[in-house]
Amino acid sequence: MFENKQVPLEKIDDYRFRIPKSYKQGMRVDGIIYADEKLLKDILHDKAIEQVANVAFLPGIVEASIAMPDIHWGYGFPIGGVAATDPENGGVVSPGGVGFDINCGVRMLKTNFQFDEIKGRIKDLIYVLFSDVPSGVGSEGDIRVSQREERQLLVKGAKWAVEHGYGVPDDLECTEEFGAMEGADPAAVSERAYERGKSQSGTLGSGNHFLEIQVIDQLYDQEICDAFGLTLGQVTIMIHSGSRGLGYQICDDYVKSMIRCLEKYMIEVPDRQLACAPVDSPEGKAYLAAMKCAANYAWANRQCLMYLTRRSFERVFDMPWQKMGMNLIYDVAHNIAKIERHSVGKTEKNLCVHRKGATRAFGPGHPALPERYRKTGQPVIIPGDMGRNSYLLVGTQKAMDETFGSACHGAGRLMSRTHATRSINADDLLKELESKGIIVKASGRGTIVEEAPQAYKNVNDVVDVVHNSGIAKRVCRMKPVGVIKG
Amino acid sequence: MSPKSYQLLEHTADIYIRVKAKDLKSLFVNSAEAMFDISTSAKKPISKEKITFPISQTAVNKEELFINWLNELLSLSAVKKTIFTDFKIKKFSENTIEADVSGISAENFEIKTEIKAATYHDLVLKSEGKKWIAEVIFDV
Repeated sequence: MFENKQVPLEKIDDYRFRIPKSYKQGMRVDGIIYADEKLLKDILHDKAIEQVANVAFLPGIVEASIAMPDIHWGYGFPIGGVAATDPENGGVVSPGGVGFDINCGVRMLKTNFQFDEIKGRIKDLIYVLFSDVPSGVGSEGDIRVSQREERQLLVKGAKWAVEHGYGVPDDLECTEEFGAMEGADPAAVSERAYERGKSQSGTLGSGNHFLEIQVIDQLYDQEICDAFGLTLGQVTIMIHSGSRGLGYQICDDYVKSMIRCLEKYMIEVPDRQLACAPVDSPEGKAYLAAMKCAANYAWANRQCLMYLTRRSFERVFDMPWQKMGMNLIYDVAHNIAKIERHSVGKTEKNLCVHRKGATRAFGPGHPALPERYRKTGQPVIIPGDMGRNSYLLVGTQKAMDETFGSACHGAGRLMSRTHATRSINADDLLKELESKGIIVKASGRGTIVEEAPQAYKNVNDVVDVVHNSGIAKRVCRMKPVGVIKG
Repeated sequence: MSPKSYQLLEHTADIYIRVKAKDLKSLFVNSAEAMFDISTSAKKPISKEKITFPISQTAVNKEELFINWLNELLSLSAVKKTIFTDFKIKKFSENTIEADVSGISAENFEIKTEIKAATYHDLVLKSEGKKWIAEVIFDV
């Protein structure tokens, strides 16, 4: 039995711990944390565990309030939290269970290059990418969208980008939800949100958002690597971004309206950032319709970012991206709420699954997956920090059985930004990374320090838990060689 | 603003601050100043041309009013590409705030950290002796 600030933790097995629902009056289900004892020590440092318990108060929550091994203290939900609610039993949707950066997510594409063939060109690539891919706070791109088109973009998502020449139809098949959620309603988005997201399509943003050139340094599942066309030493690219100002404003607008819903629907939650409304209420429906717009915007954004990346490679290598084999492997959301079909006990139900810093990880045979991934399971992309590794995994049946088809989303922060800023020197860090063969370009020096490897948990430990617990299966590991930070 | 009107507290992922003021109304001003101080740094020489916008917010209690005020400032700052430096509160109660906020074009600033929103999580607004204290977490 572990004790943290009076939160009792029961060990279920080597990779799971339980917060019994008896911990706090009002918890409707247990909390389940995926971690081993090593990671648990880091998790106990902050208030994330308390937040797992708070999420268990949500009306209609089923099975458990789940936390992934990259869990850390957020606001409302912990980052790395998963919760499913049953709309037939008063289940709610909470904007705080999605966050301000709606459909923050990551995509991974491959190339035909072996690192040895182009290692002398990585610096050129990073400088061209840094100049061609807008990054940083409030960055604006060259991809201009008229007001009328903006509404189409919010409905069509990545398909809008492909229709406008920023990709090919095959890209959509390799994107979660095929790049657009159905039911997005531009009328549910405020004028202020439109204004705040204007001119930000095809921009990376700031903070932990990045674009990385990586190299595969370890294969775990040869059969799946063969199926995905991945080999040792192959150069891959990872893009991490979200819905920018549009998503922030939509979340802000709907948290404001849902605070009122707590009284209206007599909902008691221990944290007002968990403000929510029944999924089937007018407020719940309006939020989901607006959230889907932001999600679609984010998929269009990452599609445009990939277009700019392909174009940069074309400039450097003077050949079309198709010849360089720059095909998308997959794109996953990690801040989202979705109506999905899952088993609860012996019954199949439509549930509202919140993933706040968690990745969908559907197993083999799932009907939501494109044909090419039906046999393997859905690709699950786990970025690490800029000095260590990132991973490609696939979803499993066990994830379907235990976590509503979800896995972790990254390494998870360990050190506060203020601590990182106080204790890390940017020049020393850049030198250290360069000595490891990693070239970094960032919009601001502050970002470099805040995003330093030591500010994060070791992604290898996090992925070990995910793999060993069986909720996703390791396919291959990448290491960074070139990094652009927003 | 007195640079000592706020201090940074530890938070794993986001920015957590404690702000002090002599009364609730000043606490709103000091918190707004702290928010822009954390996220921006003025380039030199800085333009003296200021733009002013009216802000009006209502809420059922002071906590909601506080969050609405800060988030409206963040939103307006993003849309108007303006960093706010002056906050003149014309009307104030625990449920209402009316203010003229003035700022300088964002081009004159280096943006250190993008604050997405102020959140309710662990929000504290309290009076202690002769001081008012706010503790707020910003999503970054």
